[in-house]
Amino acid sequence: MKKYTKISITTNPFDPETLSGFLWELSPEGIEENDYSLTLYFKENSIDPLPQVISLLKQKQEEGLFLDFRTESDTFEDKNWNEEWEKSVGVIKVSDKIVICPSFKHYSPSHEEIIITIDPKMSFGTGEHQTTRLVIRLLEKHTPKNGFVLDAGTGTGVLAIASILLGATSAIGFDNDEWCLLNAQENVETNKLTEKIEIRLCEISSIPEDNFDLILANIQKNILLPIAHELKKRLRPSGKLILSGLLTTDFDAIIEKYSSIGFHLIERMDMDEWIALVLKL
Amino acid sequence: MAKKISGYIKLQIPAGKANPSPPVGPALGQKGVNIMEFCKQFNGRTADKEGLIIPVVITVYTDKSFTFITKTPPAAVLLKRAANVQRGSAEPNKTKVAKVTKAQVEEIAKLKMPDLNANDIQHAMSMVAGTARSMGITVED
Repeated sequence: MKKYTKISITTNPFDPETLSGFLWELSPEGIEENDYSLTLYFKENSIDPLPQVISLLKQKQEEGLFLDFRTESDTFEDKNWNEEWEKSVGVIKVSDKIVICPSFKHYSPSHEEIIITIDPKMSFGTGEHQTTRLVIRLLEKHTPKNGFVLDAGTGTGVLAIASILLGATSAIGFDNDEWCLLNAQENVETNKLTEKIEIRLCEISSIPEDNFDLILANIQKNILLPIAHELKKRLRPSGKLILSGLLTTDFDAIIEKYSSIGFHLIERMDMDEWIALVLKL
Repeated sequence: MAKKISGYIKLQIPAGKANPSPPVGPALGQKGVNIMEFCKQFNGRTADKEGLIIPVVITVYTDKSFTFITKTPPAAVLLKRAANVQRGSAEPNKTKVAKVTKAQVEEIAKLKMPDLNANDIQHAMSMVAGTARSMGITVED
């Protein structure tokens, strides 16, 4: 697992707005603001960030931004920070047909219901979010019987799993996040689908297959715009593309981009401010 | 009945790039908030501000649900973007690294006004100009 260094900074007087503006020059992953301190988080690599932080603080002290400062540094390992929330995860009825249930909860399905077992950990796709529910509802209608499915940005693997349980023959799910690889593989195993779903740690450009009957991409606008061509290249001419992770305000930009490369919209589904789109070539 | 607040979390994260690693993971995880749900919402709402740092204040309720508001990026971040530089000067009194116009300072001050402790736009502009000076960015008329 990745290691992180956190550096807490207190200054006297304390002006978090001005101070944080300067500290971003050191490219931390993010900053947490407390009542009397700022905590910077850095991915651990060969360069210790503390001397750079102290050097910048000394410079700002000389300029009179504050009278004195103090730093505290600590290194820790990344872990599943979602454990506390996971305890409260319940059964989610996505539709009349699909139910998402964590492995540690018991649920007796009715005759028609399909259960997807998902332990979410630190990956996207818990079933709580509107876009996961939207895509699963669209999958009920658009999953190709005996088809081949690609799930881009698979997260927990929930959409790849749903596509198989709804009739597709095989699926590939990929993500560029190490947590997702582990978590999606676990969920595929829990649902006893290891022979039908393969999970890969990679980017879309590393997917050599180009014969998918259905591609799912529940990500976000800023990623879906630049990968439009990559998705198109991997879809059969008769295939369908389901896009989500989108807000209603993203609709025009997405349609403009995907129309320009030959797609047309065949269905739109809304839930609160979120949307999912089904496109065809 | 209004939900009971259990606490606030204040973070600064690059727009559209929240992920479950630190600082988001530990800050939200210890309060039992669904980290992935927050990331998805934050990234969706800030996707159009790519390249900027977004301060966010997350209100956590006793039932572990949350709401959040985003604030304006730090003035130093906005000044670097306006001046088209990656960094401020290491010796701002001696070495100037870029220039911004008074109009650009005014634009930043207007944007920052809701989050600054300023009485009026002139006061906000002088605060932004002060930040510019301490970065080695010259303000021109």
